[in-house]
Amino acid sequence: MMKKQALARGFGLPISVGLVYFFLYIPIIVVIVFSFNDAHYAYVWRGFTTRWYYELWHSAEVWDALTNSLIVACSAVVLSLTMGVLVVWHGSHTALARLFPLFYGTLAAPEIVLAVGLLTLFSALDVELGFTSLIAAHTLLGLGYVVPMVHARFSNLDKTLTEASLDLGATRGQTFFKVILPLLFPSLFAAGLLVFIISLDDFLISFFCSGATAQTLPMYIFSMIRAGSTPVVNALSTVMLVVSSIFVLGFSWIQVRRMGMRGVRL
Amino acid sequence: MNIVARIKSACMRESSFFMALPAFIWQLIFLYVPLIFVIVASFMKVDEKLSLGALTLEHYASFTDPLYWVVIGRSLLLAMCAAIACGIMAYPVAYYIALRATRWKNVLLFFLILPFWINLLVQVYAWFFVLEKNGLVNTVLLKLGIIAEPLRLLNTPFAIFIVMLYCYLPFMAMPIYSILERFNQRLIEASLDLGATPWQTFMRVTLPMSLPGLKTGFFLVFVPSFGEFVIPVLTGGGKKLFVGSMISLYYLDAGDTQLGAAFTMLSGVVLLIVSLFLNWLFKRIVRVSAGGQ
Repeated sequence: MMKKQALARGFGLPISVGLVYFFLYIPIIVVIVFSFNDAHYAYVWRGFTTRWYYELWHSAEVWDALTNSLIVACSAVVLSLTMGVLVVWHGSHTALARLFPLFYGTLAAPEIVLAVGLLTLFSALDVELGFTSLIAAHTLLGLGYVVPMVHARFSNLDKTLTEASLDLGATRGQTFFKVILPLLFPSLFAAGLLVFIISLDDFLISFFCSGATAQTLPMYIFSMIRAGSTPVVNALSTVMLVVSSIFVLGFSWIQVRRMGMRGVRL
Repeated sequence: MNIVARIKSACMRESSFFMALPAFIWQLIFLYVPLIFVIVASFMKVDEKLSLGALTLEHYASFTDPLYWVVIGRSLLLAMCAAIACGIMAYPVAYYIALRATRWKNVLLFFLILPFWINLLVQVYAWFFVLEKNGLVNTVLLKLGIIAEPLRLLNTPFAIFIVMLYCYLPFMAMPIYSILERFNQRLIEASLDLGATPWQTFMRVTLPMSLPGLKTGFFLVFVPSFGEFVIPVLTGGGKKLFVGSMISLYYLDAGDTQLGAAFTMLSGVVLLIVSLFLNWLFKRIVRVSAGGQ
């Protein structure tokens, strides 16, 4: 009796874990399979084709949306990283450091509140919705991640490094570029990547702040889903799944390598 | 000290101050000023210029209509169900990866986090294939002869719930995993050695210790799913309103910014009160479970 119970428990956990992974991956697998389905509107298998990928490659709308998304994401990364590094390096040793919690507000507020607030601001100031408003909004999202991440890394740096560099005759500028920036680089890279992905991923804020001119990739997918599915979206989803996986793999590989290097060095 | 050096260092300090400013200004203009705008707009009469005389409570007065409370209550219920279901599903996985898995630990962890990085719209879209009338679930159930007619799954509250559970699962799994990962396994051994059954050990040692992770996960799921827009709109058929869709209706379709702002404020306040209450409840549970030992 006891043995039977123990046996059930021994298998119960792996089985429930397996079920959760099944739940996580079944929709993904089905989308990938159906992106090769030779049928227009059916969710029924009608044979293998790659023509949706061909159509995806030749769809001007998708390329436009991708270009828009990339422009917005890259601008948001550059702007939020620049301002974030400046505020951490110049603000940490002044009274401004006490105001750093202000940057946590972006993460604490529900996204719909941010979206509504930004829309109100832009219409109050008569700013035309488009790239400007989108980049402003995504840079705000970015700052919410960059400042806490870079500040955390900066606070962990040995303060004597800056002092030593200054004592040895380097200017503050030289100290920043030759000592601090290389040390901050891992956190800058991680924060930049995170902001890039979050910007590419964001739908709600873009939906409120982009107007008709700057349609991003998630907005394109949203309008396609609403209009009724077309197989091109299946192909696009599959491509995005693959790209995300490569990103995550690369990111974990870098982290594992960094941990390994740290192990060797220290 | 000579005066030139003093001026120079003063300038340095000043320039330092100015270099730190852009980020703060950006944060103020695009986060805090808009929030103030929303608050002010919620007290403004429609179509009037900003002045003291244009202030009104009429938008808030309209919240005596139960319609608004039904929408808020529905969103609260959905967010609560999603958070609890996420907890039930994520716990065994996080437990297994943190305490049991050996060789496949990193692989399992990778596949647990991966969906988190997939675009939300792609995740939602993927579920159409599973829940559609001719989708996977119906096909399988029909083939097995369990049902005679295809079930209506898409455009129901059930679809919203399942997709929400799916999209927010990593938010729950990660905090639980990270707390169990740091968990001292000797405590489990000690408990077993002292004669507790595995079940008692889990209930009296492991679970109470991992409550902080569950709590973090709960709020990471509960707060965003309360205002969730995409999932109810795409999988719920759009007939039942939720807080997110209601707000967007006011702002984007009806153009009623003032009432929209008031409704945003109302739901924000409700969310805050409920979160504070749940936080208090969690603290009590932790205290009681610690006292029980």
